[in-house]
Amino acid sequence: MVTAKTNAYVDAYPEVESLLCGKTLPWLQQLRADALLQLTAHGFPSFRDEEWRYTNVSAIDKKHYGVALNATSAAIDINWLKNYQLADVWSLVLVDGYFSADLSNLEGLPDAVKAISLSQAFQDSHYSSFLEGKLNSAVDFAENGFVAFNGAYFVDGVLIHIPSKQIVAKPIQILHIATQALTAINTRTVIVADELSETQLIETYVGLDSAYLSVAVTEVFIGQNADVTLHKVQVESDNALHFGGTYVKQARDARFRHDNFALGGLLARSDVHTDLDYASECELNGLYLGVKRQHIDNHTRINHLKPHGISRQLYKGVLDDRARGVFQGRVVVAEDAQKTDSQMNNRNLLLSSDAEADTKPQLEIYADDVKCAHGVTVGQLDEKSIFYLQSRCVDEETARNMLTFAFANEMVDKVKIKSLHDLILGQVLTRFPQEGINKEWL
Amino acid sequence: MSASTQEINNLINQEYKQGFVTELETNTFLPGLDESVIHKLSKIKNEPEFMLEYRLKAFRHWQTMKSPEWAFVKFDSIDYQAISYYSAPKRKEDGPKSLDEIDPQVLEAYKKLGIPLDEQERLAGVAVDAVFDSVSVATTFKGKLKDAGVIFCPISEALRDHPELIKEYLGSVVPITDNYFAALNAAVFTDGSFVYIPKGVRCPMELSTYFRINAANTGQFERTLIIADEGSHVSYLEGCTAPMRDENQLHAAVVELVAMKDAVIKYSTVQNWYPGDKNGLGGIYNFVTKRADCRGENSKVSWTQVETGSAITWKYPSCVLTGDNSVGEFYSVALTNNYQQADTGTKMIHIGKNTRSTIVSKGISAGKAQNTYRGLVKVLKSAENARNYTQCDSLLVGDQCGAHTFPYIEVKQPSAQVEHEATTSKISEDQLFFCQQRGLSAEDAVSMIVNGFCKEVFKELPMEFAVEAQALLGLSLEGSVG
Repeated sequence: MVTAKTNAYVDAYPEVESLLCGKTLPWLQQLRADALLQLTAHGFPSFRDEEWRYTNVSAIDKKHYGVALNATSAAIDINWLKNYQLADVWSLVLVDGYFSADLSNLEGLPDAVKAISLSQAFQDSHYSSFLEGKLNSAVDFAENGFVAFNGAYFVDGVLIHIPSKQIVAKPIQILHIATQALTAINTRTVIVADELSETQLIETYVGLDSAYLSVAVTEVFIGQNADVTLHKVQVESDNALHFGGTYVKQARDARFRHDNFALGGLLARSDVHTDLDYASECELNGLYLGVKRQHIDNHTRINHLKPHGISRQLYKGVLDDRARGVFQGRVVVAEDAQKTDSQMNNRNLLLSSDAEADTKPQLEIYADDVKCAHGVTVGQLDEKSIFYLQSRCVDEETARNMLTFAFANEMVDKVKIKSLHDLILGQVLTRFPQEGINKEWL
Repeated sequence: MSASTQEINNLINQEYKQGFVTELETNTFLPGLDESVIHKLSKIKNEPEFMLEYRLKAFRHWQTMKSPEWAFVKFDSIDYQAISYYSAPKRKEDGPKSLDEIDPQVLEAYKKLGIPLDEQERLAGVAVDAVFDSVSVATTFKGKLKDAGVIFCPISEALRDHPELIKEYLGSVVPITDNYFAALNAAVFTDGSFVYIPKGVRCPMELSTYFRINAANTGQFERTLIIADEGSHVSYLEGCTAPMRDENQLHAAVVELVAMKDAVIKYSTVQNWYPGDKNGLGGIYNFVTKRADCRGENSKVSWTQVETGSAITWKYPSCVLTGDNSVGEFYSVALTNNYQQADTGTKMIHIGKNTRSTIVSKGISAGKAQNTYRGLVKVLKSAENARNYTQCDSLLVGDQCGAHTFPYIEVKQPSAQVEHEATTSKISEDQLFFCQQRGLSAEDAVSMIVNGFCKEVFKELPMEFAVEAQALLGLSLEGSVG
């Protein structure tokens, strides 16, 4: 839907053009022009779009989010940063969308593995030709207005390239920090994992306490028989709007796992789309916790394009206060993709009479020899389990908390990186519906 | 391709047996739709003034609407000016007083379809309202039903004889503004059935309506209104067929059910409109709005549908569970073959406390068909302890068809419990092999498996209709496959 505000964003383009990375590359100029054209024509999505029917993004019209300028990273308290920047991993830090070499930690990263900012990459002829044709090939600007917005306005981002047969010893963290209020932060991440490589990645989105708009597009290209695990930890500030999309292309036999923790933001939407080739596998896990007036939307799409693909999805939601949680999952099995095995599960726990859960798990199947299933539940805690705990001398409130925690913790426990696990657990507990309760039992 | 797959194909590729045309003298309007057509229609039906206003209001609203495009079906846009909105067999005076006066060819047509309008026939115990193109040609057992206090008559008759009931209930479940096809129907509906069951009455026999499209280039727009007053009980079945023609015909019906306190309505459909030929030519567009309002406490509405016909089926029999403790059920078997498309399912809107709903949907897709389940379960904040269970299974036969599941679940009440499960698979070679090595032929094995797949729904069809359902469906899934 094109609104007056959409036009305001489009009109601002000439002013911000000079801030954008890769200005000198004609192909990138063309790409940005296409994105701008798309945005001008179609604007941001409205709830009349089937894929956005439960999420109203008119909040972006209420305030104008200007393009963030490259601030000095001095504003960031190092001790605060330590809460989010993991010590035992390599990390790339982006402040308001701009790469900060000072805050990043790439010490000891093998030479063969490239982890650099996009603005650096565009200045290097080798990388710019590497990115040409690759950038934006996993996603289409027509996907939604935010992808187009991001395509036109991204100021910087990250390129990670894992060469073939490389097993990256430590996880690589990409830490996005928002510091400026009322700004739109557009970042772009390109991850290329060549054949037979193995990588673990962490994307973390945090912000200082303010209202801002964070739009992030991540593209992941996984080569033959390569393995990529991507953890997304979204802990934006309480007033932030977050629109994040992860678009994945899996080659033959490639494996992809995505762990999605959607905890922060006032309005947060996360898209995960992946295309599976012959016998490739993907596992999408998600946990969304909604409290107060949070609106958290999770969207997945798995395209089984070739035979023998396997996909597994488990998204869990805990919704309290006036929060609204959305899950929209879609599995498409193409005509060719015989012997596909796909499972999708969504479980929601409603804790308050003002909370809402909307879920739309979809199967679209064009092949006959497949095993596809999906299951959804929306409900409350099992009274029998509560009674059982009470009969073991646990008071009712504690029993409820234990069970709610256990429900969410299943997803947290899937994370095998110790420091990341602890970070997520801490975040879950602070946002845990009954905050301040005695958690001795942990 | 294995022998067993061949068997499945043989089973599903049976001919459409109801595709004959009855040559009749008819009264048919010229194609086209404007206010004058509605005036003419209302006049020919001898309707009270308020009805004409109702129709015109609906028509004016319809003109402001756009044809919806969200469904998972593809069809060329419909030219509403090329359709004739009224076609009726010519008859003496105004309507047959008894069966003797009905055109013998019409009677013959129904006989051929296995629907005897003769009350002495074997189906005694089922009252039939026969709708032929735009009009109801006969209603059987009227007298016996009248003794019980049940009103069962064509809706055009009810408009004249019971205007107060029509005024109160028509459009109260599906308002004229509801959707594009409902608005069109409200403007041009020609006939249909009207049922009123008074307080505390258990309808002494099963009621049924048989819809037949015969004339070419016409649309069938029928309207059914069933009101079950406090503590009453009724079971109702509709069946439908049409001749084989190369052009698509539109069938846009509206069915409204109202269940008061403690009332039970069981509504079964065996839909066998002409599905088009092997190449997807012709067939009926079946765009129907069906909705039940469980107004009273403890009321119950159960929809059972067996959908085998129509080029395109696009309907969602729904339940609005307003009354506390009310129950909604939906059982469906949808079979699509060749180029048929179906986008069907249900909506369960939980408003009252302790409301419960069950959805069991079985989709079978063969040939190049697309079969979609689309369902909405909505639990409003007021619906404490609401409970829903949904199961939708799809069976794929052949590698060129599609089976899709699009459930929508919206819950605003924490004490509600909502479950949804769906699976998609094909008949497994293992199952077939197992049956065969126990001495069953491949055909019997397939029958048994498909039968078992649909059993949950078939068992919901009323016993009295089992015979009729079989007669209606030249190929009843249960009959020919099992």
